[in-house]
Amino acid sequence: MERNWMSFELHKRKILSLILGLAFAASLFSVEWNSELIHNGGLTTAKQIGLAFFTPDLSGEILILALESSWTTLSYAAAGMSLALIIAFFFGVAASGVMVSGEKNKRLIKPFFRSQLGFMRAIHELVWAWLFVASIGLSPFAAIFALAIPYGGILGRIFADMLEDVPQEPIRALEAAGASKLQALWYGYLPMVRASITSYAMYRFECAVRSSAIMSFVGIGGLGYQIQLSLDDLHYDEVWTFVFFLIILVILIDAWSNQLRKRLIQ
Amino acid sequence: MAEIINVNRISKNYERKIALSSLSFTVEKGELVALIGPSGAGKTTLLNMLGAIFPPDQGEIVISGKQIAEMTDQKKRAKKIGMIRQQFDLVGELPVIHNVLAGRLSDWGVMKSLVSLLIPQDKDYATAALDRVGLKDKLYERTSKLSGGEQQRVALARLLVQSPEIVLADEPVASLDPARAEDVLELLVNIASEEKQTLIASLHSVEYARKYFDRLIALKNGELFFDLPSSSVSDDHIKRLYSLKEHS
Repeated sequence: MERNWMSFELHKRKILSLILGLAFAASLFSVEWNSELIHNGGLTTAKQIGLAFFTPDLSGEILILALESSWTTLSYAAAGMSLALIIAFFFGVAASGVMVSGEKNKRLIKPFFRSQLGFMRAIHELVWAWLFVASIGLSPFAAIFALAIPYGGILGRIFADMLEDVPQEPIRALEAAGASKLQALWYGYLPMVRASITSYAMYRFECAVRSSAIMSFVGIGGLGYQIQLSLDDLHYDEVWTFVFFLIILVILIDAWSNQLRKRLIQ
Repeated sequence: MAEIINVNRISKNYERKIALSSLSFTVEKGELVALIGPSGAGKTTLLNMLGAIFPPDQGEIVISGKQIAEMTDQKKRAKKIGMIRQQFDLVGELPVIHNVLAGRLSDWGVMKSLVSLLIPQDKDYATAALDRVGLKDKLYERTSKLSGGEQQRVALARLLVQSPEIVLADEPVASLDPARAEDVLELLVNIASEEKQTLIASLHSVEYARKYFDRLIALKNGELFFDLPSSSVSDDHIKRLYSLKEHS
């Protein structure tokens, strides 16, 4: 009986694979395999964009513009992340349940804060950006809040998970030595998660720079906005200049994050 | 000498297994007691109940005339009872000094303990305690970088700073090599007798128990097997305690 059931499970997977394979094959028939699949000028444009990679526009004017917009993008990301860290700290600590005693209280508090964190990150930063641009207009605050809320939700959730996974022996020892919940947080929980939360926050900062760059989709300035303008003007060489600046930003943050990690882990 | 601990017919069950059944004994102030017995005899369970980590199912524990169940203020309890276990008790990411000063947390408010992480407060306590355990030069070292024996000394230094009347030690030297184990044990016993503390330690090694402690309490299958001054414990007692046959 047991064996039969096992082999049925195995077959079920194969049957599913077969159905998916067939569905894919069938979908190929509905594609119109003619010249309209890729629009006529597409290949030429792709070639132009590809070639422009080797000849980015390095004129002084563009470089200064790239530098300025990099600064805008970076400052939105930095401000957004700072706010996100504050949100993540308070909500994360609350959602981990380490500050309340008693199983019953934990069961009440944890889902309450966890669901709020879930709400913040369920909505993408671009959607938040829409909402903020609609309500407070095209101001830097729209970008900053739009980044801070979903990133606060993501960081807070990870922070809460990390706090919950901390080894319990040192915490119990601190409590036996007379530490209150808040003291146990300073002397036990936070030092133990410091290295991992820092490196995760740095990684998220990197992501925030990328997100900040595409805030242009809703009209907020920065590197993405310049990329969009240059694309519209068909200045692919300028596009690459801005893209390179974006890459440099990410690499610089990565290097900084490695430095920090090394210092914290040793 | 005055009675400091009175254990009266305590029992504890885990699921269906009996961890301790109807155990009674008293300990006088300043006594050095070793708990011995085979694994699973209930030594750790007993120490955890003495440390108010969890309550007994039946019976009562009275400390200095007060029911342990009524000592709910953690800060006051820390002045009375201190615990040390096998390693893992320290926060490895913190410098040694903060792990030692954690013994002051029962006296400090939230603000002072927070400030201390930046500018160590009551530093004299920490330096004196670390000097006593022979680690004066490791004040600012990251705790996780210390060896197992050194970490146990840091835990002792914390206990010195906390300065409780009763010290409960659960296998304090279990994960150390013999030379370091004896070192740490000797330090633990010396500190307890100099500070006039009452010490109850569970130990694997009968040899150490007889060498360093005044009194041995032996548990087997959750029951008191014998409770004797260490001088009157014979090899026959030990042999019967650790024999696999029950009620031999």
